[in-house]
Amino acid sequence: MKAILLLVALLSPILGGIVYGIERKLKARMQNRMGPPLLQPFYDFFKLADKRALQIHSFHSLMGIAFFVAAWFAVFALLVGPNILVAVFLHVLALLFFTAGGFSVKSPYSVMGALRELAHILAAEPILVFAVIALYLTTGSWDIEGILSSGKVPLFEMPLLFAALVLTIPIVLKRSPFDISEAHQEIIGGAEIEYSGIFYEAVYTAKWLEYIFIGTLIFLFGGSNYLIGFLLVALTFLLVWLIDNSTTRLTVHHMMKFAWGVLLPLAAFNVFWIAIWR
Amino acid sequence: MFGFLKRFRKKSPWILHYNTGSCNGCDIEILACLGPKYDLERFGIVNKGNPKQADILLVTGPVTKRARARLLRLYMQMPEPKVVVAVGACACTGGVFRYMYNVENGVDRYIPVDVYVPGCAARPENIIEGVKKAIEIWERKKKERIELPKLVEGVEGEPLDRRTLIRQLEEKFCKRLPGEEEE
Ligand code: SF4
Repeated sequence: MKAILLLVALLSPILGGIVYGIERKLKARMQNRMGPPLLQPFYDFFKLADKRALQIHSFHSLMGIAFFVAAWFAVFALLVGPNILVAVFLHVLALLFFTAGGFSVKSPYSVMGALRELAHILAAEPILVFAVIALYLTTGSWDIEGILSSGKVPLFEMPLLFAALVLTIPIVLKRSPFDISEAHQEIIGGAEIEYSGIFYEAVYTAKWLEYIFIGTLIFLFGGSNYLIGFLLVALTFLLVWLIDNSTTRLTVHHMMKFAWGVLLPLAAFNVFWIAIWR
Repeated sequence: MFGFLKRFRKKSPWILHYNTGSCNGCDIEILACLGPKYDLERFGIVNKGNPKQADILLVTGPVTKRARARLLRLYMQMPEPKVVVAVGACACTGGVFRYMYNVENGVDRYIPVDVYVPGCAARPENIIEGVKKAIEIWERKKKERIELPKLVEGVEGEPLDRRTLIRQLEEKFCKRLPGEEEE
């Protein structure tokens, strides 16, 4: 078990790239297109390595790399490391590095993207924290091995919280209708706009890691029943991509209202209910 | 090592599309190439909209006087290796707008163009063929920085290097938007 988790953590950029490739292919099929080959993200990766890198200043580039490193640390903390609560905090840290990089340049799109990125953190992270707390309440363990061998299926005790978590994923992965901080047609990628060459590569790859991070969190809701876990992950990602393909972008206010007005009460209600009922 | 990396260039060219005052006919055709019918994304081509991450610059339009500075800026912001494709009769020679008082008769007066795609409007098949040719040229290009030694005609007709020209053009045209004059 430990060896498998370590392997997944070490290979997570590659696995995330494959998930991203599947996403691009599936989304193209949903739009009646052929779509790029499955390994397209890696072709992009190698091509970007061969481009000349234009640096704005060293702090900006450093933050791009720190984003990647911290995101990988978050995946490590989730799969191997101390516990899953630390993983969520490391995930916030990674996004904060990215935001700091976005704020450090003069480009208005970059600053606007970074501001919106902060809104994303505010909207999504409380729900992730609630999800982790609920996992602890149902299985009695803070680390992944304890949860996977607890003999319980957390999904059955927290359906509301799971629904809230699924609807948070578009916010975390920046998929439509909540692709506000990226908004390719509007602010051309937001905080990532000024990265180029090998530094953009770091940011590009860090995004693949988020698939693994979120996918693992979803998988944990299957508890010790791995089949349910795999089904949950597959169905959730399919749902998120369907929603992504069929909705348009909302504004920051909509996102905050939805996250704090609907999702957070749902999650909190479920957690308090479990805590009192036990 | 770099031979290995070079092999992936043709698999993931990213496009930047800039309209220098065209009639939008060619722009629609470029978008048609990216849509479901021609679907350039199956070759890994995506429209990035960001010069810092793009490889191929697709220019349409006859380069109006206001668009010059931005065209130069976009070209200089793209990291090497890069190629430029002039799409449509306008971008090649000025097309129907040739010799009008507000246009510059084609893109190649200001930036080096690698592939010319004719047609008014250029057909999607032609654009795809042009991009294919551009990728072939791009594969042979080097990573080193392209200096622009060729002098161009300045605002008053004097020879200038491009960086100075951008500054002059921006001072002359970009600050004269309504509402900015009082500053
Ligand atoms: S070439 Fe023709 S269709 Fe294309 S921008 Fe010029 S006038 Fe329009």
